Amino acid sequence: MPLTITFGHCSLQGKREQNEDFVGIVSPTGEELARKGHLAVIADGVSGNGGGRLAAEYCVRGLVTDYYATPDTWEPLTALDKVIQPLNRWVISQAQHRREQGPMATTLSALLLKGRSYFFAHVGDTRIYLQRGKKLTCLTTDHVWDRPDMSHVLTRGIGLDSRITPDYGDGGLEVGDVFLLLCDGVWSTLAQGQLKSLMESGLAPEALATALCNEALAKGSHDNVSAIVLRVEALPDDAWADVITRGADLLPPPLLKPGQELDDFRVESVLHRSLVTVLYRVTDTRNGQSLVLKTLTPERGSDPIERNHLLHESWLAKRAVARFFATVVEIPPERRSALYYLQTWHAGATLGEWTKTDRHVSIPEVLRIGIALTRAVGALHRRSILHRDIKPDNVHIGQDNEIRLLDFGVAVSGMSPTANVRPHAGTPSYIAPEQFTGALPSARTDLYAVGVTLYHTLTRKYPYGEIEPFQHPRFSDPISPTRWRPDIPIWLENAMLKAVAKDPALRFETAEEMLLALERGASRPLPAPAATPLVDRFAAAAPRRWLIGSIILNVVLLYLVLVLLAK
Amino acid sequence: MNKSFWSAGHRPTLFAAFLYFDLSFMVWVMLGPLGVQIATDLGLNAAQKGLMVATPVLAGALLRLFMGVLVDHLKPKLAGAFGQIVVIVALLLAWYSGIHSYTEVLLLGVALGVAGASFAVALPLASRWYPPEHQGTALGIAGAGNSGTVLAALFAPSLAVMFGWNNVFGLAAIPLTLTLIIYWLLAKDSPSCPPPMPLARYLTVLRDKDAWWFMFFYSVTFGGFVGLAASLTIYFNTQYGIAPVLAGYLTAACVFAGSLVRPLGGALADRIGGIRSLTVMYIIAGTAIALVSTAPASVWAALALFIVGMLALGTGNGAVFQLVPQRFQREIGVMTGLVGMAGGIGGFYLASSLGYSRQLTGSYQAGLLMFALLAFVALVGLTSVKQRWRTTWGAAHLSAARV
Repeated sequence: MPLTITFGHCSLQGKREQNEDFVGIVSPTGEELARKGHLAVIADGVSGNGGGRLAAEYCVRGLVTDYYATPDTWEPLTALDKVIQPLNRWVISQAQHRREQGPMATTLSALLLKGRSYFFAHVGDTRIYLQRGKKLTCLTTDHVWDRPDMSHVLTRGIGLDSRITPDYGDGGLEVGDVFLLLCDGVWSTLAQGQLKSLMESGLAPEALATALCNEALAKGSHDNVSAIVLRVEALPDDAWADVITRGADLLPPPLLKPGQELDDFRVESVLHRSLVTVLYRVTDTRNGQSLVLKTLTPERGSDPIERNHLLHESWLAKRAVARFFATVVEIPPERRSALYYLQTWHAGATLGEWTKTDRHVSIPEVLRIGIALTRAVGALHRRSILHRDIKPDNVHIGQDNEIRLLDFGVAVSGMSPTANVRPHAGTPSYIAPEQFTGALPSARTDLYAVGVTLYHTLTRKYPYGEIEPFQHPRFSDPISPTRWRPDIPIWLENAMLKAVAKDPALRFETAEEMLLALERGASRPLPAPAATPLVDRFAAAAPRRWLIGSIILNVVLLYLVLVLLAK
Repeated sequence: MNKSFWSAGHRPTLFAAFLYFDLSFMVWVMLGPLGVQIATDLGLNAAQKGLMVATPVLAGALLRLFMGVLVDHLKPKLAGAFGQIVVIVALLLAWYSGIHSYTEVLLLGVALGVAGASFAVALPLASRWYPPEHQGTALGIAGAGNSGTVLAALFAPSLAVMFGWNNVFGLAAIPLTLTLIIYWLLAKDSPSCPPPMPLARYLTVLRDKDAWWFMFFYSVTFGGFVGLAASLTIYFNTQYGIAPVLAGYLTAACVFAGSLVRPLGGALADRIGGIRSLTVMYIIAGTAIALVSTAPASVWAALALFIVGMLALGTGNGAVFQLVPQRFQREIGVMTGLVGMAGGIGGFYLASSLGYSRQLTGSYQAGLLMFALLAFVALVGLTSVKQRWRTTWGAAHLSAARV
């Protein structure tokens, strides 16, 4: 069952010469609904002569088209923000070009219903109301001057400032929720009581929207009047299931041996086999292309949760398109008989294979890998994807000299269902310290893993020692990599120590910042991180304080015993 | 331990499970401390002595499976009561008609094995009352009943000197009967009961290599612990000519050390890593046992080495059981059963091999050295597990058990 809504709208000119309000609703179906949701936008233009209508209409039209063109992996509010900012810049530039129209601005209130949640973005004095049960609440705050004579003058609005900061909010949906998007012509005329009695009149959304506007005009509104009404009729059980529409009912193939064929793919070799997944190198017998086929082991394939994980992984991998990643190869559904996904195969070796042999990895080589790796991570983060498993085994150095980041097995995006975003997935030695105490993964945890990867490649050691699965280690200061390998330049050491700092606030904030530090190198070195003072270390470990205290006490007692014996 | 733990679950049941477990473990290994006197009266040779103390250990290990099935079909409370009645009746029979032969003592040993199988009853009885986040604590408290082995070593030899060893069986039935009454009044089956586990589930988990290794790890740590608990009284008596009562006290000291550090082992594994702590513990235990196999001249040196060994083995027990529930989240019930059984088999091996070693070579050295060797084999297993575990642990593998 998808998220089903009924909706209606109304926008009347009233006593004004022109209707400067604009409303828009997009209600997609199928996969697009599951990925992007329903979007309703209201805008109330402000101007001397006509520019307001242009701004309002442009913003609503822009938002409803551009939002559906944003990457699928972005979180809903990120996507709204990324669309609203350029709309604002466009309105400002238009106002400068068409000075004859006078100032040009608009309010904007957008409501997005997606999965089992609602999200809103708001700027200006249009309002969004939510009626749940008998309770009517206004979700937004009006951005107007707090003075009786200026209560219609906007403090924030599209077109007023070059930097705009809309208000954002979200919440859970319930069946029967009714959302109202009203312009000030409606809400300032109707008293709260009239609004409530209209809401409880039992009108369908379309009729309710018309009734709200007519009532406002009847009550003497001098402004344009516009209203959108949305009613939630049914909620999806699992929003994610609707995104992945294909393949959910397929089972993984049995274990394959080299030479066997599956859907005209010939298995060449087994690349990797873990408890859960198997990777084969296969050749497409139809065109001779070498591919990697990833699927689940038959034992785990019976678990629908594991199957969903694989579908989620392929969905994400398909959205990470750049030279730093293997490309997901789509095949027509009628060719597919089992659950798996295909990626391009590249000759070469992983960094993990390098470090497991005694191959010497030079500093310039590591630097080149580090720069490519931070670029790759930056490309992922721009799509709101967190990889969560960056380690030498997942960094591939191709014979074509390209460096690729592999394996989206535990990656998550802004779109991923919460079941996937559980903290503490990945390879223990590469998991950032704060995640052991339950912090959620972030860009900084990925950059921590990049830091450990470079550290391990250079020294074959880990900054905090090797961490085992199921261990909850204590983290102190990282060990300087030059202790293991003195030829590491000091600026590179500082960059690595910054990347693997225990405190996430001390790490690189973005992949671009880390990239810059690696590219600038010795020409603009980072300061060395300060060692934690002994007092702080002492305070951090209360139980250890007792231990140290008791050791001191015992030494003193032992000394006293020796003194007494010597008598 | 926080407040929410005490407000969750069912405290009387937890207490009853602990008591039942504690006293069951007491009688499970009681042939060990009594072994010297029984062997003298029945004229047993060294190998027979070893088998006498090893029989309850093996029976306990194998009967765990049987009791596990019983728990699934009768519910834990009834299964526990059944087990206790079997043990009490067997003890009273032994007391009333007397033990006159090697065969009879072995038969009694099998019946005492039912007490050793209490593991499979007491733990589900208590833990099923608790939500997943408190199960570890509940298991720890109920599992502290391991300390019952100390009681046997402390009291059995003195009572045997005072009243004769045959009467000790009758005396042991008194606290057991009291426990049975308290148990019946306090314990209550949890309203939520998982469905019976089909035997096929045991086979699927055995396809996992890690399962075999963990069974082996526990057969060394727990096998060492319980095997020594059963054999040390006889060892101190034959090797150093220590009187049974004092030998019992020395054994109690070793066992006490081993059972006390178990929770510490769990905490250590949590902090520095299970594989790392097990590696250290196997090295310490293996070295201590190898050293003691040279039969140091002073009994105190031997005692010190045994205590060091027992400390390492006890810590190892805790470390194994820190890893098992996390590694085998979905198969936790099956795995605790299998790992526990493996531990019992390890104990049987150690206790009986010590007897045979004495019988065939005239000293305990070969038996102890073989066991020390097993500890070092476990190190090889740890390396292999460590290699395999350097991998991605996904949300799906680490997510809390889905209930």
